[in-house]
Amino acid sequence: MTLDELRATAAARHETCAQIKKMIVSRLDLPIEPAWITDDQPLFGRGLELDSLDVLELYVAIEAEFGVALYDSDMSVFGSVSRLADHVNPTLAAPALVDQA
Amino acid sequence: MEPLTSPVRSAHPEGTAYGTVLDAEVALSFSALDAEYEAIRERAALLDLSGERIVEISGSGATDFAQKVLARDVEYMTAERCMTSLVLAEDGAVVDQVVVWGREDGLLLESSTGAGSRLLEHLRAHAGPDVEITDRTAEHALFGLEGPYAWGVVGRLIDGELAALPFESVVDAQWDGVDIVFARTGVTGEYGYKVLVPRESAERLWAKALEHAVPAGQQAVELAMLEVRQPVVRHEAGEGVDVLEMGAGWLVDITKDEFVGRDAVVAAFGGKAERRTVGFSGGDEVPAPGTPVTVGGEKIGEVVHAVRSIGLESALGLLRLPPDLAAAGLKLTVGDTEVTTLTSPYVTPKSWSTPII
Repeated sequence: MTLDELRATAAARHETCAQIKKMIVSRLDLPIEPAWITDDQPLFGRGLELDSLDVLELYVAIEAEFGVALYDSDMSVFGSVSRLADHVNPTLAAPALVDQA
Repeated sequence: MEPLTSPVRSAHPEGTAYGTVLDAEVALSFSALDAEYEAIRERAALLDLSGERIVEISGSGATDFAQKVLARDVEYMTAERCMTSLVLAEDGAVVDQVVVWGREDGLLLESSTGAGSRLLEHLRAHAGPDVEITDRTAEHALFGLEGPYAWGVVGRLIDGELAALPFESVVDAQWDGVDIVFARTGVTGEYGYKVLVPRESAERLWAKALEHAVPAGQQAVELAMLEVRQPVVRHEAGEGVDVLEMGAGWLVDITKDEFVGRDAVVAAFGGKAERRTVGFSGGDEVPAPGTPVTVGGEKIGEVVHAVRSIGLESALGLLRLPPDLAAAGLKLTVGDTEVTTLTSPYVTPKSWSTPII
């Protein structure tokens, strides 16, 4: 890939990540700017500190905003914003990684 | 200040390899790295956290002082909670990443490995007359238990009810008649617990814990931390690197009105970033920090830190790249090797699908 092609690929991921951050902040009424969330930030426990009730809200929000049902997915989907982006926009999906689960 | 050494060093397994991490001598490995890693990711590992200094903040001004020196908000933190926060210098440089333990009569700060002297110096430089800064390291030993079945070890060793405490809980408890402080917190993404035990009982607890868990050294722990994108400050921070470049913006709270380094952090959040950090994997050789990242022969960034990941069976590390190229799913060249940028976590912890029963 050329540098311009790489930039375009990165921009597509950044755009999806930005949509997800905006959705999280809006749906969960978080007192932060969406841009303050980083793409690799943990969403649960340490990090954004979401909990299991927040997951339920996000399932609904993701289906409404991205048309993707994640109800049967494992928790690794919520490992980070960037990981979630792979699932709501499969064209972005990074190469498969080792799943210890 | 004397370098830290483990109070249970004499009880470490024969053949333990030691190394110096900043101001501490730590066990780099107790046995084979693969076995220690497997304990963290598949079973339960015992960590000797003696390289982490325990600093007490007390006095009438303790809470205000903690609010000033910690980048996250601890104003309403109770004695039953702990949290991870950065400690910053005025210019926004990272002094340390600490675990803040709530206590009835103040707070305990647990430094990162080997960074305790620097942390103490920073705290004392900012403390007023209404605050006491006391190094409690010599009075305690700090052990960790991490792994998808670490909860079972907690049950067998101390008390099963402690295993299911909410994340980032702190409780006073007893082990074999000894007062301990117990926290549910960790760094590897697996179930994690810490026990602060009086030094005179430390060797006894260590020996007992060894009956249930495999000891894991600094190398295995730092590998597991990287795999879940848990920052290791000494590898990732550096001169001129702000918290956003480091990817640790989530360890500061800029909605807080005031803390040391806030102006620099606010400027970073509001400014145009020059670099961002993203993970990568690929190749068998582990590139050194500073190894150039190229596309078509043009340098676009460099390696921050890398190791060989046992979970991924390849090199794994962090790259610092221009923001418009800091994204997962890109094929880049590091040195002479093609690598792929990744989403985090790079290895999914087994604990995420392992219930506590």
